[in-house]
Amino acid sequence: MARIIFISGGVRSGKSQLAEKLAIDRAHYHGKQLHYIATAQPSDKEMVLRIKHHQKHRQESGKKWMTWEQPRNVHQLATHYSSNDIILLDCLTTLLNNEFFYENRWSDYEFQQQIFKNLVQGIKELSSKVDTLILVSNEIFHDVISDEPLVLVYGKMLGRLHQKIVALADEAYLVDAGCLIQMKGGEEYERLNGRWNSL
Amino acid sequence: MHFVTGGAYNGKGEWVEKQYGIHRASHFWYSAYRSSAPPEVENFTDIDGVIVWEGIEYWVKDVLTYSREEEIQQRVQQFLVDFAAWENSKRTRKVILIGTDITKGIVPVDEKDRLLRDVCGRVYQKMAKQATQMDIIWYGIAQKIK
Repeated sequence: MARIIFISGGVRSGKSQLAEKLAIDRAHYHGKQLHYIATAQPSDKEMVLRIKHHQKHRQESGKKWMTWEQPRNVHQLATHYSSNDIILLDCLTTLLNNEFFYENRWSDYEFQQQIFKNLVQGIKELSSKVDTLILVSNEIFHDVISDEPLVLVYGKMLGRLHQKIVALADEAYLVDAGCLIQMKGGEEYERLNGRWNSL
Repeated sequence: MHFVTGGAYNGKGEWVEKQYGIHRASHFWYSAYRSSAPPEVENFTDIDGVIVWEGIEYWVKDVLTYSREEEIQQRVQQFLVDFAAWENSKRTRKVILIGTDITKGIVPVDEKDRLLRDVCGRVYQKMAKQATQMDIIWYGIAQKIK
């Protein structure tokens, strides 16, 4: 199985940039191809702007990214990749959103279990094909207690997903205000960390 | 005393279960999520082992619906004093406090939620101060604070 790297952080914490850096660095170091799985759908003006911002940033990196727009069913991409590929998936939160709201069945326990199983399976399938799979997600677990069943169910699912992925991951990072905090694994950490801190 | 905190759905309970070999279905696992009242020291005078009090933020939220903050802080203080004495009388006794950190979201629109955040934050400070051990759990991984 490939190396799985999990990166999570708050809004505007710089997690995407750091994840891109990590992917570029690994691609350069090991001579691999960069892929980007975009999960966001341009559903409104704000989302269109966010997507443009991310696209611009990847262009400016001067590296060749192959972009795959896949808002749902990421496992379908697995057949396209090989051990020569480094995949950055940004982000899990949006992916879960897209699966979660695809049908109006979020309150159905069976449906929730199915989504969870499919997401974990999809991630495993991707990682079985590639060199490295980098997964970006969001920290949304420090808010006051919600009375909304939708918010509770969604939070619980994302939390479970993060726990599962961190357990599978070789490296896991928390990003706070552009700083990378290593929570799990990674022999490359020391080498990269020095460089990242000086960015 | 061991204070365990972190975000919601981060696996705090599972971590405590593994760490202490205690199951959440145990009689000594008091969960506010299951509407349990906090443990009372009188019930443990002749009992040793590990006691877990989980869902402190839920307990605070509940008690706030019918009492003022002062009363909550007083009850927490009493709890900490009582159980510190209980723990200190035997080496095989330990209290684990599990509370979700609800203080890092956006400022809540609802005044009650703002109060809940404030009270919870102050309760956790008290618990962290009393505790000899403290861990923040991030998706099952513990970060030792104390």
